Amino acid sequence: MAAVACALLSFSSPALAASEKVRITGLGDVAFGSIGNLGADSVRSQSLCLYSSSTTNGYSVTAIGTGPGGSFELSSGSLSLPFEVQWSSSAGQSSGAQVSPNVPLTGQVTTATQQTCSSGPATSASLIVVLRSSALSSAMAGTYNGSITLLVGPE
Amino acid sequence: MKTARLGRLSAGCLMGILAHGTALAASQGTLGTTSTGSISIGASVPNRVQISNLADVSFTNQDPSVAASNAQNVCVWSNSSTKGYNITATGSGAANAFTLSNGAATVPYSVEWAGSSGQSSGTALSSGSALTGLTSTATNPTCSAGPSSSASMVVKITSASLQGMQAATSYTGTLTLVVAPE
Repeated sequence: MAAVACALLSFSSPALAASEKVRITGLGDVAFGSIGNLGADSVRSQSLCLYSSSTTNGYSVTAIGTGPGGSFELSSGSLSLPFEVQWSSSAGQSSGAQVSPNVPLTGQVTTATQQTCSSGPATSASLIVVLRSSALSSAMAGTYNGSITLLVGPE
Repeated sequence: MKTARLGRLSAGCLMGILAHGTALAASQGTLGTTSTGSISIGASVPNRVQISNLADVSFTNQDPSVAASNAQNVCVWSNSSTKGYNITATGSGAANAFTLSNGAATVPYSVEWAGSSGQSSGTALSSGSALTGLTSTATNPTCSAGPSSSASMVVKITSASLQGMQAATSYTGTLTLVVAPE
């Protein structure tokens, strides 16, 4: 019976490996604070953990904002302030590939070896949020808030 | 023992509060065939104003029998909720007076301001006193988009003052304008 059980276990192992999974962790809120210089772009970047168990460690990421149709907009009552989202598949970056709302950014590969980066690389990707000077300089004074949701899938 | 249980309960409540707090802030993804996380983004845009497109004013070969007037369109931008602003002008004369000087003598001039462009007259400014209650139509800090100008500034010298000036002599001065949001 013990031999049969071992055979079943070794048989089920490839089936588990075929289930590709991803996880995004290490996300932090973005606080620009009071932006003193409206004539310059304001940029906030953060390193986070992106894990993929696919054979290539590949993944795609889709960002959805809280503006109309998922657009990247902050709001202050009826006022809006557009922003840009960039993504890099390596940590510590201050710029990356432009992300369009609701459009998967494909072809990303992660170096993470553990689902929360508790071992191996501590972070594996960069999320960059940009407020362009052109938007800031035409924005009315106020406090603007919004959010983005990031959906990750294996590739 | 009761104390220990109470301690664990408090820690549990604290964890619940913290968990509730993080739910309102960044959320982390779980392991799955897809994973979803979210972050909040906040930014504050302070009140700002800008004045631009100012040009030097030059009166040359002015007929003393005719009052001199020079009007120019300028750009004043304000991002306040009302797009309001005030403006304060100071001259380079004694006590910031609006006067020109040739080194030995001075001649007064006046400054008028209108909250719209294309005007040949406006509200007279007093040196050091803010003209308040103005509103801008500018949609860009330098009027590079939208209206190309949003206000008018008019500098005038009366005929009487011109007649008191020495011919073929250069009189100069500087006018400083300070704009603040309202």
